[in-house]
Amino acid sequence: MRDSTPILSATSLHKTYRKYQQKVQVLRGVDLDVHEGEFISILGASGSGKSTLLHLLGLLDAPDIGRILYQGRRIDNLPRHDRDQLRNGTFGFIFQFYHLLPELNALENVLAPAMIKFSFRDWWGQRKAMRRRGMELLERVGLSHRLKHRPREMSGGELQRAAIARALINEPRVLLADEPTGNLDEQNGTHIMQLLRELNRQEGVTIVMLTHNLDLIADSDRVIRLRDGLVETEPAYSAPLSTRPMKTPALS
Amino acid sequence: MYKVLLCWRYLRTRYLALACIISVMLGVATLIVVNSVMTGFSTKLRERLHDLCSDVLIEAASLEGFGDPNGKMEQIRKDPELAGKIAAMTPTLETFAMIQFYWPNGEMITKPIRLIGVEPEGRAAIGGFSNFLKFQKNQTKPSFEVSEDAKQRYEWRLRALMQPAIPQAKIFPDNFDTAESVPQPVAPTPSTVKIPRGAIVGNLIASFRLEDEKQKGKYDDYYVLHPGDPIYITTVSGAKLAPVNDSFLVVDYFTSEMSEYDSNCVFVPLDYLQHLRTMEGRVTSIQISVKDHHDARLVCDRLKQMFSEKSLALNIVTWEDKQGAILQAIEIEKGILNVLLFLIIGVAGFGILAIFSMIVAEKTRDIGVLKALGASNGGVMKIFVSYGFLLGLIGTLIGTSLGVWLTENINEVEQWLSMSTGQQIFNRKVYYFDKIPTDIQAGMVLLVNIGAVTIAVVFSVLPAMRAAFLHPVRALRYE
Repeated sequence: MRDSTPILSATSLHKTYRKYQQKVQVLRGVDLDVHEGEFISILGASGSGKSTLLHLLGLLDAPDIGRILYQGRRIDNLPRHDRDQLRNGTFGFIFQFYHLLPELNALENVLAPAMIKFSFRDWWGQRKAMRRRGMELLERVGLSHRLKHRPREMSGGELQRAAIARALINEPRVLLADEPTGNLDEQNGTHIMQLLRELNRQEGVTIVMLTHNLDLIADSDRVIRLRDGLVETEPAYSAPLSTRPMKTPALS
Repeated sequence: MYKVLLCWRYLRTRYLALACIISVMLGVATLIVVNSVMTGFSTKLRERLHDLCSDVLIEAASLEGFGDPNGKMEQIRKDPELAGKIAAMTPTLETFAMIQFYWPNGEMITKPIRLIGVEPEGRAAIGGFSNFLKFQKNQTKPSFEVSEDAKQRYEWRLRALMQPAIPQAKIFPDNFDTAESVPQPVAPTPSTVKIPRGAIVGNLIASFRLEDEKQKGKYDDYYVLHPGDPIYITTVSGAKLAPVNDSFLVVDYFTSEMSEYDSNCVFVPLDYLQHLRTMEGRVTSIQISVKDHHDARLVCDRLKQMFSEKSLALNIVTWEDKQGAILQAIEIEKGILNVLLFLIIGVAGFGILAIFSMIVAEKTRDIGVLKALGASNGGVMKIFVSYGFLLGLIGTLIGTSLGVWLTENINEVEQWLSMSTGQQIFNRKVYYFDKIPTDIQAGMVLLVNIGAVTIAVVFSVLPAMRAAFLHPVRALRYE
């Protein structure tokens, strides 16, 4: 029997930013549940707080009030080292502007999270296997001919595909995508969405995607609208879990 | 691994970091060259000072000197605590005097000098004597004996002075450098000329230096006193300080390349000076050389127990005590110079701080990405500290190579600079060295290397900490 505990959930999230004497309350009590294998789109206009929500879910920032739970366990108050490990191994990030490291080539960028994961000594034992996996991932995203290319030598679409491969290298449980097609043309955007759908449908990767493009939400299992720091509507979770392959066994 | 990879890539792609490498390189090279030259001067000076001064000295506190030097030396030889330690001993008599001699143009020159009476063989055994002589260089038995050529020259000169018809001006021809230009005297009558005793004169008393007109930086010695030329020395007698004088003939030159000695010292036979000063049996010092230089202090302390504790008229010192002021001045100068020069590397460190701050600002978004991928604050900090270490190491290695090469070729570089700028950088006339002395010490080079790398690392810590504690979200949004 599958566990119905959300893989990732947020309870009453509040977040305020301060600029000099001015306070800007970005999130004003957001509740969110993400179930394993779901493809969730979070819609919202600029300034609605969707990026802040994603950053909090991915432990890039801490909420002022509220909790973030992973498989029922609170993670927002963990020690820094544990949060770093969760970002490295459990979550995968895909950014609007790709954010590949310019000094590294495509393969090295893909391997970066793995290099962060292993110590120097352990990496020497793992490097061949990891290199193979990196090359497989780049092949998976159609970039096997770009292994040695630096980011400045690649197009926007290729960069985003490399970023997706990077996000997958450590076999994350959850992919957090911040407007992954926001900086791409329609054709490349379509390819990226196709890739994400395949990852979700075929490999059961849980995806939380931010977008303001209504055309991209068609294949989402759920669409959550954010407005002024609050969830406007959240349809009840109804996607049958049994039709999706479990990525990993649920934690007890 | 990502730290190593990123560090290496930053090194290869961030040309701004070349400025850090160059500043460290220049600082290290400068320190090595300056230290090597200072140490070279210091070493050479130490060697010269040690050469010129015996290991241990028993000095009289007064110009009247002390008596029974042979008895004292015998006592030293027989002392069981000093057995096997003493290499040689010799008595000397030193006093102040005035020297007078004729320049080739007939002008009488008068100069103050240090008049030193020595037993030449004994003084040579002490060391720092015969190796500085021009004609009797390194002989174990130098002497004050006047050679036949010198005697002949003196006789010619004397008889020429006795020729009334010859005007004074023609006695000393324009070309004073060669004896051949002196007009031939008439055939001498059977000789009744009394030949004075020989004296060894400081090179700078007997000559002066002029720069070669055709070759800048090259100096030649022009002699005004030749072997056989007379000098007139006036000093004071021992008891009543009454003036006494006599004439001597130049037999050799003393060239230690220390102007203090070469322009002041005149050596004469000890026994004759004792007689001249009515100080028979008395000397002003006993010079002692020891077999192992490290025993000098031990020997000095033992001699103090044997002599000066019983008599305040004796001063017993090692050569380092005697030259202490000069040696200490050199060390202080060297220490201050090192501090000042290390400030150069400190300035390079501030350069690293500024450049690293710029690099961290430039890399802010990448730091945000690294943190998003799970890199820890410590990991990010290590990237930049390692980067600083690498820059420091490369700058240090290149700087060391450059510094060593410059030091090895310092004379060629100096000549090239002098020619290019038209300015004499190393005046050989002033320093009396033909070459700039250098001494590269491995310990010094290692210390400079460690210091430079440490400064590079220390000054990279602050920017590294700033990078480490960047907020990931703010870093990702940085433009």
